[in-house]
Amino acid sequence: MDLFGEYMLTSSKYVLIILSLVIIIRCIRSMLSERYEPEVWAYLSHNGQVHSLTHWENIIGRSHSSDLRLTSPGVSRVAAVLRRSDKGEWRIHDIFSKGGVWVNGVKTGSKGLPVIHGDQINIGGELLRFNDVSAEAKRKLESKRTAAGHRVSPSITVFELTVFQLFLLLQHALSAPAEHLPAVALAFTALIALQWCCYNITRFMNRSGFEIETLAFYLTSLGMSVSASSAPDEIYKQILLTIAAVVLFMILGWWLRRLDRTIKLRIPMAAFAGMLMLVNFVVSDAVLGAKNWLEIGGFSFQPSEIVKVCYIYAGASTLDRLFHRRNLYSFIVFSAFCVIILALSGDFGTALIFFSTFLVMSYLRSGSIATVLLAVSGAGLAGFLAISVKPYIAQRFASWGHAWEDIYDTGFQQTRAMSAAASGGLYGKGAGAGWLKDIFAANTDMVFAMVCEEQGLIIGVIMVLAVLTLAFFAVKSARNGRSSYYSIAACAAMSMLLVQLSLNVFGSLDMLPFTGVTFPFVSKGGTSLISCWMLMAFIKSADNRRDASFAVKIFEGSYSEEDEFKDNEQFPQTHFRPEDDPADWEVWQP
Amino acid sequence: MKKITNRALSVLLIAALVIFGMGAYIINYIDHGKEWALYFSRSNSDSTGHLVDRNGIVLAYFSGEENLFSPDEFTREANYHVTGDYWDRTGTGILSRYWSDSQGFSLLTGTTRAEDSILSLSIDARLNNKIYECLGRENDGAMLVCNYRTGELLGMVSSPSLDPLNPGEELRDGTYINRCISASFIPGSIFKLITAAAAIENMPDLSTRKFFCEGEYKIAGVPVTCIAGHWNQSFEEALSNSCNIAFAQIAVDLGQQTMIKYVQEYGMLDSHKLSGISTAKGSYPLNFVGDPELGWSGIGQSTDLVCPYSMLRLVCAIANGGTVIEPYMIQGEESNEVQLVKASTAAKLAEMMNYTAIDHYGAEEMFPGLNIAAKTGTAELGDGTAHSWFVGFLQDEEHPYAFVTLVERGGFGITAAGSVTGEVLQWAVENLE
Repeated sequence: MDLFGEYMLTSSKYVLIILSLVIIIRCIRSMLSERYEPEVWAYLSHNGQVHSLTHWENIIGRSHSSDLRLTSPGVSRVAAVLRRSDKGEWRIHDIFSKGGVWVNGVKTGSKGLPVIHGDQINIGGELLRFNDVSAEAKRKLESKRTAAGHRVSPSITVFELTVFQLFLLLQHALSAPAEHLPAVALAFTALIALQWCCYNITRFMNRSGFEIETLAFYLTSLGMSVSASSAPDEIYKQILLTIAAVVLFMILGWWLRRLDRTIKLRIPMAAFAGMLMLVNFVVSDAVLGAKNWLEIGGFSFQPSEIVKVCYIYAGASTLDRLFHRRNLYSFIVFSAFCVIILALSGDFGTALIFFSTFLVMSYLRSGSIATVLLAVSGAGLAGFLAISVKPYIAQRFASWGHAWEDIYDTGFQQTRAMSAAASGGLYGKGAGAGWLKDIFAANTDMVFAMVCEEQGLIIGVIMVLAVLTLAFFAVKSARNGRSSYYSIAACAAMSMLLVQLSLNVFGSLDMLPFTGVTFPFVSKGGTSLISCWMLMAFIKSADNRRDASFAVKIFEGSYSEEDEFKDNEQFPQTHFRPEDDPADWEVWQP
Repeated sequence: MKKITNRALSVLLIAALVIFGMGAYIINYIDHGKEWALYFSRSNSDSTGHLVDRNGIVLAYFSGEENLFSPDEFTREANYHVTGDYWDRTGTGILSRYWSDSQGFSLLTGTTRAEDSILSLSIDARLNNKIYECLGRENDGAMLVCNYRTGELLGMVSSPSLDPLNPGEELRDGTYINRCISASFIPGSIFKLITAAAAIENMPDLSTRKFFCEGEYKIAGVPVTCIAGHWNQSFEEALSNSCNIAFAQIAVDLGQQTMIKYVQEYGMLDSHKLSGISTAKGSYPLNFVGDPELGWSGIGQSTDLVCPYSMLRLVCAIANGGTVIEPYMIQGEESNEVQLVKASTAAKLAEMMNYTAIDHYGAEEMFPGLNIAAKTGTAELGDGTAHSWFVGFLQDEEHPYAFVTLVERGGFGITAAGSVTGEVLQWAVENLE
């Protein structure tokens, strides 16, 4: 490399680091530090006080964690769930009430009763008046909420990301052999085009939130750079799969806009996932000790990656169903099935990811630490049994913490990963200029080390920070979630990615057992990329900031104020349809 | 919903673990980054440098574009197990381990390029050539020569070897294994040094005790045999005669726990580090065995295995008054001193080994001019063949060399390994300064 080239390389390293810092800080400011007000869906008046309902699913009861707390002793801890549908129809379900839940003097049965504007609800002797939000009021309320991208313009962040990608390309141009250069240039051009395309679709849909996509594209760019360094021959495939991943992300996000159709597909999703796991277990050949590849018509993919998306999709649940025991049991059985099949296939890393996600999700669903402890001890026992019956399983993890004692066999990959990661220093050697890329699985299992070697530790840390930011954002969004389905799905998806990240990063650095899982978005591999992007759809669907997410539908109010206001003093006529058919048409006698 | 949003905080727990892990990694990186980076970073390096022996003979030269070895084919082959190669075909060579040290490192920039670095070995390439010549490239074997006063490793040859530039098509099994450090063998009678040390320290009546041998002796009905009857012998004579019956009796008298204690104490079961390269572990029956087996284990048969390098440490310690200066290959390397054998025991063993050499091997004829102390080993493999061992040292302050010689399936210790050693030592005394 001539002097000019070296000068370009050195300065590009600093530019990449500065741009990464700017991008991540802008995303953090926009996603985490801004205040976002909740949406208001309806009001409940009680003893002269008006309470806003800020979710589609609201618990009414005596417990502290109720969305509307009634302190009277006649009310049980979790008495009822008041729930809104996509169409704006409200329904109240009796959960564990002592004296029943009554709407306009009619007792709700197991299926719940519809509630409309002006209805009177009686729970344990406490009277509540339900008021819907008018279209005018809704518009007014919305205008008061902070819009996404209000302070930090997403277009500028995307522009900075584009410059980042161009500098990555420049580094490849300095290091890549001439015959690969056109392919690499095409890859980055395609990535930039894809990202602007995605951005413009969002703008076209009048949505202004693009931080989730920006972070995902940032990580995907690093992944593209990894592919360009380590496997330039396969870069065309990587481009196509990236496009597929983004398209599937948008399709899933669009599908999640409507809760009713989303919920309907849960069982089929679970069945599909189960079938995929079984087919994989029976048909696929073991590659490197783990049966995790399936080939259909010359196209090979990892079924477990697709199952991750299905698992979150099927495992999340709306609030009213959470209280059904049967719902929880079928979730546990489904999870156990996934984990056991994965463990039997020898894919312990993915089994561990599913298991941890199961723990988070079952805690989100049940709130019971006892359940979590029970699951952990159950799994621990199963693991102990497995190891005592088949001791060779333990051997696979024997090198953990001792990688340097056997650098030619069990510690082969970890020691090389640690060495390469350290040899990059803080600024890295430049894209394509490392040596780890020639080692098997450098671009997947050891990808953190590869990025650290080529781009330096700072970008390696930012890469982890990007995923952490998404996780914090998911937790923050959960607070304003419309339905617990979206909140649970977003939190579960992010914990899945966090666990996957930990196993990848700390496994390759010999701080955890080396299980050979991928780093979200960055590791080379189509199925993994697709599943990560699809998981982002869940985060998008939980992003309730004003006009932020294409995966969230904007709703007008349920009625117009021009309509006649109902007489509050008289109980309105029953508006129940025949199919509502409560169990017993008892009438409340005050 | 409030319920769910409160529970969502559990995700933050995982996030906190990730942050904690990253913090731990960064601390580790600051502490060990240099070691890690330099270990493997060579392939990336366009650094230039030389690997030379103690006299400045170039064994390897790398310039980023070219990776070369000595121009002389025989030197390349004789020194292959010391140098290794640039392509990691054998994992235990200096190039695999230390090529990278020619580079610099800083936490900010990672590894940096170095120019014209020189790595000097304590090894004498000419001595290695001589050893390889004497061992014979058609024989399987190994020899280590070490200065027991300084710890400098002077010679290390493992045969079969190969020319790193032209490895050839058909290599013998184990060509890439450095037998000196990466393999363990049945020790046979050289193991009696350990049994003898245990006897010296644990049998108060040793000086007056007589060991009777009529060629065969039954322990619990199982025979232990000697080549010939040695009849009535003192302890010193028993070692000199390398009498199986005497040492099997000693092992049985001492008991298995005492034997294990000495095997462990003398580092026969451990992996050691030779300039950062791990050596092979040996073995000894650790689970309870009956007296017959214990007797056999005391004379270096049974399941006993010894790595030549571990034996070298023991011989160096005996030669150096009980303290081993840990051998090393890279000049300027710091070396530890370890008290391996009690000083009195070491002195007694040294005296007995010297007596053995003079009395039994006819040292004056076989090793003219050398004041040698040694022990032979003929390790029966059970198929009629035997490994031939010869271990010991020169009692000569001008030439304080300890050695371990092994000729696989070479037959009697003294004939095969003994004669190789004799030839090599004569050359060494004449040619090494």
